[in-house]
Amino acid sequence: MLAALRAALGKDLRLLLRDRVGLIFLTVAPLIVITVAGFSLASLYGASARGETAYVLPVADEDGGRVGRAIRERLATEELVQLLPVANREEASAIVRRKEAGVALVIPAGTSHALAAGRAMELQLLTDPVKYLEVANVRALVQELRHGIERKAHERAARRLERLRARMLATRADFQRAADSVARELDALPARLAEAQTEVADRARAAEAGAAREVRAAVKEASELRLAVVSTRLASELVPLRRFVGEIESTEAAFRSWMRSLRRQAGRYADRIPPPPELPTIPFAVSELMQLDSDALIARLMGKDAMPAPRFTLPRIPTVSAPPLPTLTLPSLPELPNVRLPGALDLVETSVTGAPTRLNTFDQNVPGFSVTFLLLGMLLGVSLGLLDERDWGTLARLRTMPTPFAVTLIAKLLARFIVGVVQMVVLLAAGWMLFGISLGPEPWALLLPTAGIVFAGTAFGLVVAGLANSREAVLPLGSIAIVTMAAVGGCWWPIDLEPRWMQRVALAFPTTWAMAAYNDLMIRREGIAAAWRPTAVLLAYGLGYLMLGLALFRRRALRAR
Amino acid sequence: MYRSSYAARIALEYVKIGRMESAIIVAGLRKRYGTRTALADVALTVDAGEIVGLLGPNGAGKSTALSILATLLAPDEGSVRIAGHVLPGAARAARQVLGLVPQEIALYPTLTGRENLHFFGRMLGQRRADIPAAAAHALDLVGLGERADDLVEHYSGGMRRRLNLAVGILHRPRVLLLDEPTAGVDPQSRERIHVAIEQLARAGAGVLLSTHDMEEADRLCGRIVLLDTGRVVASGTTSDLVSSCGIAASLVLRTSRPPPADWLDGLSSVRVLSANGTRATLAVDDPMAMPILLARAARAGGDVVELRFDRPTLADAFFKLTGRALRDDNGAGPGAS
Repeated sequence: MLAALRAALGKDLRLLLRDRVGLIFLTVAPLIVITVAGFSLASLYGASARGETAYVLPVADEDGGRVGRAIRERLATEELVQLLPVANREEASAIVRRKEAGVALVIPAGTSHALAAGRAMELQLLTDPVKYLEVANVRALVQELRHGIERKAHERAARRLERLRARMLATRADFQRAADSVARELDALPARLAEAQTEVADRARAAEAGAAREVRAAVKEASELRLAVVSTRLASELVPLRRFVGEIESTEAAFRSWMRSLRRQAGRYADRIPPPPELPTIPFAVSELMQLDSDALIARLMGKDAMPAPRFTLPRIPTVSAPPLPTLTLPSLPELPNVRLPGALDLVETSVTGAPTRLNTFDQNVPGFSVTFLLLGMLLGVSLGLLDERDWGTLARLRTMPTPFAVTLIAKLLARFIVGVVQMVVLLAAGWMLFGISLGPEPWALLLPTAGIVFAGTAFGLVVAGLANSREAVLPLGSIAIVTMAAVGGCWWPIDLEPRWMQRVALAFPTTWAMAAYNDLMIRREGIAAAWRPTAVLLAYGLGYLMLGLALFRRRALRAR
Repeated sequence: MYRSSYAARIALEYVKIGRMESAIIVAGLRKRYGTRTALADVALTVDAGEIVGLLGPNGAGKSTALSILATLLAPDEGSVRIAGHVLPGAARAARQVLGLVPQEIALYPTLTGRENLHFFGRMLGQRRADIPAAAAHALDLVGLGERADDLVEHYSGGMRRRLNLAVGILHRPRVLLLDEPTAGVDPQSRERIHVAIEQLARAGAGVLLSTHDMEEADRLCGRIVLLDTGRVVASGTTSDLVSSCGIAASLVLRTSRPPPADWLDGLSSVRVLSANGTRATLAVDDPMAMPILLARAARAGGDVVELRFDRPTLADAFFKLTGRALRDDNGAGPGAS
């Protein structure tokens, strides 16, 4: 039995591999649709798909100032929009009218100055109401940008205010320190005045003493000068006297020398020679006068105090008493008011699962359209595959063979299951490589919902095959069912766009559970735990479909007999 | 070498088959689709090594009968034994010894001929190791050995018919059901198929051949079972059917000018079956009247430009037994014919 199953499986896989149109339908067609849908619906998610779908946003910067520049620079970094600078609002409006853009931004002239001056200004959006989605997205972006600029301005003002306050506080502190210093100086001033008075008195006394000393010295000098003059004059006056005395003394010496020579010459007669008259003796006083220098002479003449110091009285330096100090009362500085700009109410968006807040449109579209094409592939693979077998006559032929027909059926379902899993893996991998979709923190966990939806889709194909009797019946019946399941189940757009009642209805479709698991794993970046429940539900759906399909198929087979 | 030994094994198998009971025994077979009776008290047998033709106009019940024999349909009443296996209880066992060659080509067009044979071989329960030789033998038998690895969708209609037959005989069935196996094929393919069927029958297989081709039935079938409106209206050899219908041999005579209406007056042993201008088909009950007939024809119609003696055929018997009225397939049954 297993050998037959393997053979039937191999046959079905071989048939599939040789069906080029089928292979294209399974892989290339979904990729084309994913690409088209991804880029087409990118705006639905308010996110760009690698920037290829950015809105063209004409910006007329009539301001030309700091604000306009900041807005333009900020917009230039936004992936959502492709900035198109234009000269003025007329040109911007014309672009919107030509439907080349859904919205244009005008930054009115004087915006920077007005804002700097504290006046309000209005940015202007020129919009095409038909392109409401684009308008809404750009409006949100501009609002966000405007808020950002306001917040920065607010932060700048707050910083300035804070700096000003800090400077005022510093100045106030300086003033306070100065006032304290003045107060301290004032307090210390009487003592210092007293000290100064004492010092002045001391200095006056010193000055007086000095003056006295100087006077005395001057007097002394003058006296000494006078004495010197006197001495000089005395000496000059004494010169003739001293010369005469000298002459007398030299004459006496010469007389005596003569006498002695006379006596020697008189020899024996020297005795006879009468004694000469005695020369008068120079009085001692004269002799002393002759010996003393003029100073000594003056001293002798004038006594010990040759020039008695004059007695004088210097005038007293009057002491000045300090004037009474005024009472200085410094005014106290008022406390600086705690003035602060009101805080900005900001909005921080944080994904509760830690996933990025911006969605790659293909994160939704790749699994969504992959599931759609998977179901279509299952429908064609199982339903039309069985119809093919019927049309080829092989179905009847196989029923005449010893291998139970169930083996053929199981092999066909198994082949489609394998192909479906491979198809999903290929499409997800292609999405990852081509469109940068996230495969979540545990990419292999994607196999769980993949296996679940492939199983459910395969079994659903059997249901359609059991219901539809012809190729013409399969396509509308299956297509309607699959399109409904895909659309309502959130394969083509986020299920949250649907009304609540429809979301509840969607729980009846396996696509809803598959997309829930894919969204959890790929977009919300949750772990494998998020996939268990949807996968279990998908497997339950698959089992239900399988039982229903087998029953329908059996009923048809019995009818055929 | 291997093929030779394989052929020998097949021959041995059929020798065994030949010793066994009839390949097909059907008795009192009834089948209704709603109010319409598709089969009513049909009975037939096919012995091992025998080729039995199942003939009948559209809607006669041939396909219903074949479907029941092929275990695709369950009868309302009656007994069916396929190589000793009583249907429908032993359907699975019967399938082991049953080979069906359906009227419609029942092949996978995007597989090669060999791949088709390998796949159906496994479905027929053959061992993997036996399949290549069995497939090669079947391909040789139907003359497709050289094209075995081409995709079936690239085959001509005749090649597909032959491969269709090859699938049916791949597992050396003891009972072979053929539903118009040569419909729409070229003469060469038809001949090859005929040869293959004859070989199988010679090897001991019991063959039930459903066909609209009287010539084919006449050539291949030892016996004919003629169905009409769900009943067996005649059975036996071709001669039996022809003779049982009382159809005399006919003379086709064509003259250069139309003879007068009374040119056969006085010749009681000659009857006009049909006349159309210069051409007349005559029944001659007494061969002794032939010289007189020819003399009168020459005299009345000028030169005798054609003179052909037609013996009664299976087709004649067929028309005699089933009539010449058109039978439209009312589609009440699966592939009703």
